[in-house]
Amino acid sequence: MPSVLSNFRVQVLFFGRVRELAGISQESTEVANGATLADLFERYSIRFPELAAFRPSLVASRNQEFVPWNTPLVEGDTIAFLPPVSGG
Amino acid sequence: MSNTITERDVFALLNAPIDIAATVSEVRTERDGAIVTFDGFVRHESHGRQTLYLEYEAYESMALAKMKEIGGLIHERFAVDKVAILHRLGRLEIGETSVFIAISAPHRAAAFEACRFAIDTLKRTVPIWKKEYFADGAVWADGELPPAPPSAPQGAS
Repeated sequence: MPSVLSNFRVQVLFFGRVRELAGISQESTEVANGATLADLFERYSIRFPELAAFRPSLVASRNQEFVPWNTPLVEGDTIAFLPPVSGG
Repeated sequence: MSNTITERDVFALLNAPIDIAATVSEVRTERDGAIVTFDGFVRHESHGRQTLYLEYEAYESMALAKMKEIGGLIHERFAVDKVAILHRLGRLEIGETSVFIAISAPHRAAAFEACRFAIDTLKRTVPIWKKEYFADGAVWADGELPPAPPSAPQGAS
């Protein structure tokens, strides 16, 4: 049962279409101990409802590596929800 | 902007035009007998609509890390000498080079295969995004979803 004391902060980055929909490019946010990337995205999709529909076409990254959505967050992580890439 | 030049390879994200001749010179050594390059540049149309210009943005630190990973894979898999992978960011006009790859090798077959691998892998795994501007609006290009990693075991930390 997470207490306030067990909360910690992560940095969240937004790019491309996700950045435009959220209207922010980065922020530091507090998360509860045990939270996963999916939990964090859920919070953003409540705050920015247009994001919810994009979930199936996004991949998550943690500290610059693609990771599964059920990856637990760790204090100091840098997280991003990445749209399909279109470089080249 | 972000760039890395190792003794062997060159990886860069640039806000200024890519110097193609200088990049080719960078990978050309007396150990080699062939260089294969890929020059990707801005097309004047997309899905039948006339393009005005493009804007590229990147998760720069991760993009550079992924470009270096591609370089590492190339050296593992192909008998090549030097690898250069450069990508432009920001606004690009029609005809401007957005991505340039140059790979040198003692023999041509490895250089051809490695160059194809480099651009195909870049387009699937490097976090760079392109927005296409048309006379009547702008859209984010349909991209490719990087391969999703398998789910982490539940309860793993």
